[in-house]
Amino acid sequence: MYLEGKTTRRESMSDPDAPVVLIVEDEPDVAETYNLWLQDDYEVRVAQNGDEALDMLGEEVDVVLLDRMMPGLSGDEVLSRIRDSGYECRVAMVTAVEPDFDILEMGFDSYLTKPIRSEQLHETVENLLERSTYDGLLQEYYSLVEKQATLEATKSSAELAESEEYEELTGRIDELQDNLSQTLGGIEDDEDFIATLRGLGNGDEH
Amino acid sequence: MATNTDHTGTMYDLTNVLDIDALASVRPGSSILVSGPAMTGKEALAYDILADGVRQNEGAVVVSTGDRADNIIADFRERAGSESFPLGVVDCVSDASGGETTDNGVYTHHVSSPGDLTGIGIGITKALEGLHESGVEDGRLALSSLSTMLTYTDRKTVFKFCHVLSSRLDAAGYLGLFTIDSGAHDDQTLQVIKQAFDGMIEIRERDGTREARVVGLTSSPSDWKPLE
Repeated sequence: MYLEGKTTRRESMSDPDAPVVLIVEDEPDVAETYNLWLQDDYEVRVAQNGDEALDMLGEEVDVVLLDRMMPGLSGDEVLSRIRDSGYECRVAMVTAVEPDFDILEMGFDSYLTKPIRSEQLHETVENLLERSTYDGLLQEYYSLVEKQATLEATKSSAELAESEEYEELTGRIDELQDNLSQTLGGIEDDEDFIATLRGLGNGDEH
Repeated sequence: MATNTDHTGTMYDLTNVLDIDALASVRPGSSILVSGPAMTGKEALAYDILADGVRQNEGAVVVSTGDRADNIIADFRERAGSESFPLGVVDCVSDASGGETTDNGVYTHHVSSPGDLTGIGIGITKALEGLHESGVEDGRLALSSLSTMLTYTDRKTVFKFCHVLSSRLDAAGYLGLFTIDSGAHDDQTLQVIKQAFDGMIEIRERDGTREARVVGLTSSPSDWKPLE
């Protein structure tokens, strides 16, 4: 059975808030297997090659599963174009052999070696989504800290003690600190740590 | 910041270098900002704290945005008073790339610029890995300086970098020391950056004497103490 991206999208789960996973895989059987595994938890889209993947990319895509060896645009080329595009999606590279290169220095967020098991795939996607949660929390944390610093710079300590806004802000900051230290997906292991740092430099400008 | 990872490691005692009670028992995983005007010895203080750790068989990692690795190593040799030590250097200055291990076992990683946060992260990861493999469990990291990084990257990115790195050091049970030139930034920037750390060693100069105090590690700031 062969499914095109659009068909797959319609057939997948109905939850509009489900994270979006884009599978980029030239072998239809393999793509369909991943789709079957993931479609209960995510909105899955399938691209058969690099060009199609770039067309299907958008703000709403959270995770890209990218086959490294494809006819036409290679996985590496697609990856670099995704990064250039400024979209903040996480990319897991799917490789045929265990990478012999230094994976920390590559631009992807995670990698999977074929053949992939269902459990592995789920774990990787979840881990990448948790990393995005961490980034989001860190972003919010920064905005609040900046706001707090502005208040502290412009108001006297007596005014701050009276200010409900300041009190609420301080409470939110404490709360976020706790959330951040519990969402360790951002730094849990070396790969996460590097991927999180890589994300700091790009995509934050807007 | 308040990360709550549990550590079995022993507390860090920094009072050999700076005799202030608040530094007698610093929790592993703490990150401390070392703040003061230019030329008041922030970097020397941080490096002395690292060298003191090395004398107690701890590891050391230096992230340098100003001095080349060979200068850092030569300087460290003097401070530690020995020829070989468990040290990793992340050099953001030299015109080189990649990692290498020198004769005396120091691992050096070269990063193209102080604005290359991913490169710095990779260097730190490898340095920590190398120290771990050589059997060192505890250690201290010094980054000098955040002020240089702030000239390459905006405040938001540097803040996030500090937060992420502090969490990483927390997970490793390391102690982090990050220097910043308090005269080079506006109050708001300093206020924001401070928030990424557990505490601060503040340095000032009064009538030709340098003084230091510790803020944030205990409920109230310590008294000012002369700095040798």
